[in-house]
Amino acid sequence: MGERKVVLTTCKSCHGGCGVRVTVEDGVIINIEGNPDSLTKGTMCSKGLSSIQHVDNPYRLKYPLKRDGAKGEGKWKRISWDEALDTITSKMKEAIAESGPFSIAISQGTGRGYNRYTSRLARSIGTGNVISPGYVCHSPRLGLYGQVTGYGRLYCDYHGWGGEFPKTQIMWAKQLEISSADSEMAYWFMHSLDYAKNLIIIDPRASAYATRATLWLQPRPGSDSALAMGMANVIIQEGLWDKEFVDKWTYGFEELKERVKSFTPERVAEITWVPKEKIIQAARLFAVDTPGCIQIGSSIERQANCGYTLRAIICLMGLTGNIERPGSMISWVLPATGLIEDFYLQIPITDEMKKKIIGGDTFKLGAARTCNPDTMIKKIIAGEAPIKVWISVGGQQIVHMANTAEVVRAIKKVDFMVHCDLFMGPMAEAADIVLPVAHWLEMDDIYDMHPRFMIEAHNKAVEPPGEAKSDVWIFNEIGRRVAPKYWFDSVEDCLNDELKTGKISWQQFSKNLVSGCFGKDQVYYKYKTDYWRKGGGFPTPTGKFEFYSKALEALGYDPLPLYREPGESPLSTPELFKEYPLVLTSGYRQPFYFLSQYRNIPWLRSFAEYPIAQINPETAKQYGIQDGDWIWLESPRGRIRQKVRLFPGILKGVVMATANCFYPEEPAKGFHGLFISNPNVLTSNDHLDPMFGSPDLTCLLCKVSKCSKEDLTEEVFKTQEFGFVQTAGDEKAAVKSR
Amino acid sequence: MRWGMVINLSKCVRCHGCVAACRVEHFLPAKITWPRLIAWEQATEQGVEVTTYPVRCNQCKEAPCVEVCPSGATSKRPDGIVQVDQNKCVGCRYCVIACPYQNRTFLSKNKDTGYFPGHPKTAFEKKGQKLYPHQVGTTEKCNFCMERIDAGLAKGLKPGIDRAATPACVNTCQARAMTFGDMDDPQSAVSLLIKGKKGFQLHTEYGTDPSVYYIDPGVAGAASNQAPENDTTGYHIRHLSTMDERAKQIFDVGKIKVGK
Repeated sequence: MGERKVVLTTCKSCHGGCGVRVTVEDGVIINIEGNPDSLTKGTMCSKGLSSIQHVDNPYRLKYPLKRDGAKGEGKWKRISWDEALDTITSKMKEAIAESGPFSIAISQGTGRGYNRYTSRLARSIGTGNVISPGYVCHSPRLGLYGQVTGYGRLYCDYHGWGGEFPKTQIMWAKQLEISSADSEMAYWFMHSLDYAKNLIIIDPRASAYATRATLWLQPRPGSDSALAMGMANVIIQEGLWDKEFVDKWTYGFEELKERVKSFTPERVAEITWVPKEKIIQAARLFAVDTPGCIQIGSSIERQANCGYTLRAIICLMGLTGNIERPGSMISWVLPATGLIEDFYLQIPITDEMKKKIIGGDTFKLGAARTCNPDTMIKKIIAGEAPIKVWISVGGQQIVHMANTAEVVRAIKKVDFMVHCDLFMGPMAEAADIVLPVAHWLEMDDIYDMHPRFMIEAHNKAVEPPGEAKSDVWIFNEIGRRVAPKYWFDSVEDCLNDELKTGKISWQQFSKNLVSGCFGKDQVYYKYKTDYWRKGGGFPTPTGKFEFYSKALEALGYDPLPLYREPGESPLSTPELFKEYPLVLTSGYRQPFYFLSQYRNIPWLRSFAEYPIAQINPETAKQYGIQDGDWIWLESPRGRIRQKVRLFPGILKGVVMATANCFYPEEPAKGFHGLFISNPNVLTSNDHLDPMFGSPDLTCLLCKVSKCSKEDLTEEVFKTQEFGFVQTAGDEKAAVKSR
Repeated sequence: MRWGMVINLSKCVRCHGCVAACRVEHFLPAKITWPRLIAWEQATEQGVEVTTYPVRCNQCKEAPCVEVCPSGATSKRPDGIVQVDQNKCVGCRYCVIACPYQNRTFLSKNKDTGYFPGHPKTAFEKKGQKLYPHQVGTTEKCNFCMERIDAGLAKGLKPGIDRAATPACVNTCQARAMTFGDMDDPQSAVSLLIKGKKGFQLHTEYGTDPSVYYIDPGVAGAASNQAPENDTTGYHIRHLSTMDERAKQIFDVGKIKVGK
């Protein structure tokens, strides 16, 4: 037996946070399992466990690469880190000198530990143009919690630290049980169900829980605002609201009452396709069996009415007094190490930076600290070229943004692009320089969980392959060269700085593994004390929970919730509906993939080789489609192929497509099969949420047809440019979409 | 002493964590999977049902695989675990056919492709060749992590209670859908669940008396819409190994499938 050591660390295979115990023998991982002494009690999912095939993967990027051919051609040349960093920083300096710092964009994938590095780099050089997927995931929720309650981070209290667990739980457009989304752990949620009386699932698609829940509401995708307003109306009409909380601590009840009055169960049933009895019952259960919480899914934030939909859902929390009560929605108290975001917030965003944020003048909530990516794409295509240098880490904007053909056209026009990743992928292929990044098992860093009641340590278990480096190293090295005042001599200095509020060194924190505020240290009912405001109250302009938001009104938005149809829907575009007679949502996620990741991990790919579209058997019959067939899904923007699964758990007339998919094994040309199955080839970036700029990714219209044998031949499927999507060519796409 | 497992169908969310944990624990070759998940989705008069059956070797009390094994490679331990001695297995695959649950896999050469075909074996695979060797040409299956149980017992630990003595799949399950313990002890967690929550075995008609039980008590205080009331035969997947259309569908492409 070789030399063995055990390393305790933190998983980051999704948003992350599960405690991990790794056994290493002679520098090789021989076992990985959950850490039983962590808050996730030694449990782990297939993604984290399969990290072994990530670390060992022969396709890992090992050295910095420079493009050695046309963009997207897949030809690369190895270069040194010095050359890479010198090239990047001289391009940045050039852009700053010629066009100002705002011409540099820093982009990232979903928030998983590098938020503070991307934003700090941006601010340290003077640009507010951070490109983040936040506007279609999580940020709208936080922004509106901020407007309504004055504090931006409300989370479900699954912990029972206040002596009570949620009695009624609503899971709205989310499957927390398979996603651990936003660092609210699947394990916590599932454990809390042991104490719940009612579970209400609101999901167009059946899950294991949906078919066993107290109540399952199956709305038409995109109709959630009407559903929430209908539930609010039932609660008000039946006098079920929390009178004490509403009287004493809220503002604008009468206005809300008036606004939702017309949303009768009958009308809402017509709009949402949910039987009225279920709407009434859901409202009653949530209002009567308190405390309760609502877990909101990002599918709602991928809709162009997300702002007002979230406003309506948050009003339900206020009506029922499910704020700050044990077992309801809580804003957690920070750990001794403080707010990890201070690492970039300490560099204030200046008025000039704000002024130059792309989309900032239109999307006043979504583009206040980060830019609106869809607007940026439109501007680049229009030749305004606002972005000269694009530095990207982790995320695949090219995959997750609406209207793939337009995104590809725009990205190809960016003068200079850098992408940091573990593998070659669609985004890397569009870059000029690609930097190899370490896996979370190969790096020392700090894990910041979204609910912010703790931070955890990522401890390096094994060395990264070749010359791959951690995110923090890469950002610090770039930062040191372009804005030395704000960056550090070493990674350890940087980590020490992030921990300074807690007066703890990285070395010590790495051993402690966690800095958290748990159990009795947490504080509930903060609004009843001087915590936010002397004499009690919320940190809002009125000091109350605001059903009616004066702040939103001042920004030019409706101060109350509003029902609006998606940009394309049976009700909003009846003519289009004739040609595209099915409602399409791209909300389907599999538990063993995380966003666009992991189709190159054999253990995970074995669970579902191809992207699956679920269709009701009766709808399928109408189109002569059988289980296992490949089908075309087509919208005015283009068409894609997915494999069909007949599924009784989805409404007739609705198609649920797997989101964010490309084929890592496909060639660089065509961006690794980007156009074969990715639903964003079909989505539109023309309808955006007025507050946050979020496009309709989870509610649009489509038509389906069975693929012919010729559509699936090896040559067509694998080699034809853009995976045989004819509408993806530049000019053709523009013509066809008119 | 008879080790057994109870799987709560109301809790399983199809995350595949158990499958992944088993692959890590036993350094499983590329195309081999011991536990599997069977997706069951149907519309009935009572509504839609989505259920996931985690299946693995049932460690049957009356195990057909033991009876048909001509070489004595498959045998039953006093604690109920059915084990395969890879050094005795001649690869005849009688057991693969005899198992009515299709829970045995034959490790043929084409299933041992390496994790990344066309590339050298990974560092983890190479370690596995020493630490947990698999032999091409023999039959494999779940063994309830008997190595963990034996090592744990030797240290005075209790399987099902102490993590180091408990199967890897049970430990990793985020839903806590699996419970492990001694079915001969009426006070063990498994015995209490079987008794209190109407535990049922799969295909009792075969008379195999599996050591894996299922319960489906519902979630969040609600009753499962399909749980068998007094039926202990596991009618949910009675079709599992009868090769009718439904069974074909379960194992067919397009379903969430495991291994193979």
